[in-house]
Amino acid sequence: MLDIAVRELAGHKVRTILTALGIFIAITAIVSLGSISTGLNELVTSTTSLIGSDTIFVMKHFDFSQMGGPGGGPPTLEDMKADQVEEVISTPGVKRGVPIIARQIGGLFEVDGLDIEQKDIFGAEDLEFKEGSWPENDEKGAALGFIVAESFGVVVGDYITLNKKEVEVVGIFEEGSGAYDLVIIMPYDFADEIYETDGGATQIMLEPVDISLVEGIKETIEEDHDDLDAMTMEDALSMMEEMTVTLNIMTFGIGFVASLVAAIGIIITMYTSVLERKRQIGIMKATGAFGRTIMIQILEEALVLSVVSSILAVGISFFFVGLLNEMLLGGVNLAMITPALAIGAVMYGVILTVISSLYPARMAIKVDPIEAIREG
Amino acid sequence: MKDEVIFDLRDVWKIYYMKDVETHALRGVNLKVKRGEYAAISGPSGSGKSTLMHIMGCLDTPTKGKVIIEGRDTSEMDDNDLARIRREKIGFVFQAYNLMPGLTAAENISLPMRFNGIGKGDAQRRAAELLKKVGLGDRLHHNPGELSGGEQQRVAIARALVNDPDVIMGDEPTGNLDSKTGVEIMELIEDLHEKTGKTVIIVTHDRKLAKRAKRQIKTLDGKVVR
Repeated sequence: MLDIAVRELAGHKVRTILTALGIFIAITAIVSLGSISTGLNELVTSTTSLIGSDTIFVMKHFDFSQMGGPGGGPPTLEDMKADQVEEVISTPGVKRGVPIIARQIGGLFEVDGLDIEQKDIFGAEDLEFKEGSWPENDEKGAALGFIVAESFGVVVGDYITLNKKEVEVVGIFEEGSGAYDLVIIMPYDFADEIYETDGGATQIMLEPVDISLVEGIKETIEEDHDDLDAMTMEDALSMMEEMTVTLNIMTFGIGFVASLVAAIGIIITMYTSVLERKRQIGIMKATGAFGRTIMIQILEEALVLSVVSSILAVGISFFFVGLLNEMLLGGVNLAMITPALAIGAVMYGVILTVISSLYPARMAIKVDPIEAIREG
Repeated sequence: MKDEVIFDLRDVWKIYYMKDVETHALRGVNLKVKRGEYAAISGPSGSGKSTLMHIMGCLDTPTKGKVIIEGRDTSEMDDNDLARIRREKIGFVFQAYNLMPGLTAAENISLPMRFNGIGKGDAQRRAAELLKKVGLGDRLHHNPGELSGGEQQRVAIARALVNDPDVIMGDEPTGNLDSKTGVEIMELIEDLHEKTGKTVIIVTHDRKLAKRAKRQIKTLDGKVVR
């Protein structure tokens, strides 16, 4: 009797809207916060697929929780000297080593200087260009991420200033290149010149001859160089995952509190609705409705209400998440609503509402028809 | 099947307990009603006539004694069995009409059919047919609030008939109506009784109304006195 449930809800607009609002707020909060966790998880996963899990990163000790874009390090990270870079690359079992000069600019963007020919180790070989192309190794130019170019307001042929030196924009990546939206990639020699690193590197990416040698290479480097950390992408990701877990716990904590408030709201409104409709419930019983029919009727109302308000909440969350990405993350699409998150949130909204309505529904069964009708 | 006893009440008591006070609404009522009878239960306020009807109509259960409906002892029935009797065997007409305010006349009438698992379309068709029968064929989509008292009671009668019950029970069915409309409603119920042979039991404190019935059942101090 879903039609009757819909009529009942439509007949009590204020009550319906108030209950819906409770569900709506809870689901919007959960989806909006959940989108950040999801986005972070996706970033972690996509980065793994970009950079081989057998690639080893070598860098000076640093706090990984401050890591930026791909292959990134914070600006405070010390560079390795040229001879140290040489030693690391010549570690037995290393097939090739790519030194990278990395600098953070404005906290969000990152400059990476590397041998452009070796960009595949960086997972960048398949990047599409919106305009222009990769700089040649001997060129004094750079390829910019879409958001970087937008933020500098430059097109190919324009110049940007890095460390007081002019850099020509020779290429701009296609929009939506993930973490590459935020990077400036230039030839190693040019970065070396700009940042005066003297043949040094902020980090070195190493490819082993064979995956079985990864652990051995890491150990050798850390034993030979006290000041260096060597880790694989997997090690780095597990650290990032720890961060994600913290964020997930926070999300669910806030979501839980929001749900609790919503649940109490639902119980109160549904309970009030039962009290208010005592006479109607009495009439239904007097005319032969089973207790379970009445219970189902109340739960059907909860179902209709929760499906509609949860779907609306997910819809509005898309808007909030867009706003979040725009306002807080400077246009980076980090927060994202995946189909799983959207469907999960709607299901959660429905289950939360139906469970919260169980007590009021059980109260409805207990209504004494004689008493209810007499009150009329 | 005439002469078949449809209601058989044996030493029925109804006692209400409120804190330490016991109120005896019924004190050992013995009563038989045959199929096809038109009976009026009358008596002064507090004499137990409504309680008697509620117990006969399975809206309430006795504290003591047996209520046998069509040979089945209701004390052995669970809530669902009693609901099934109310839905299929008995049609109620109440003083305050007791229609669902948010539903149309047709939806109100079809509700007991929907409880029986009949689809919306079939139930609405039957409701339209019954509304026509009670003279409200053009009021199908009106809400109770848009109908007069007499019209609402006609809708209630149509609802009582929707599952084609054996018995029509009226609890002061004209109590909220002016005398002219009251007579019209009684004529409608009596016409049903004449044409379909349904058992009609009316509770009223109105002597004139009671006299219209073929059998008078009088209650006093929780007992049937005649």
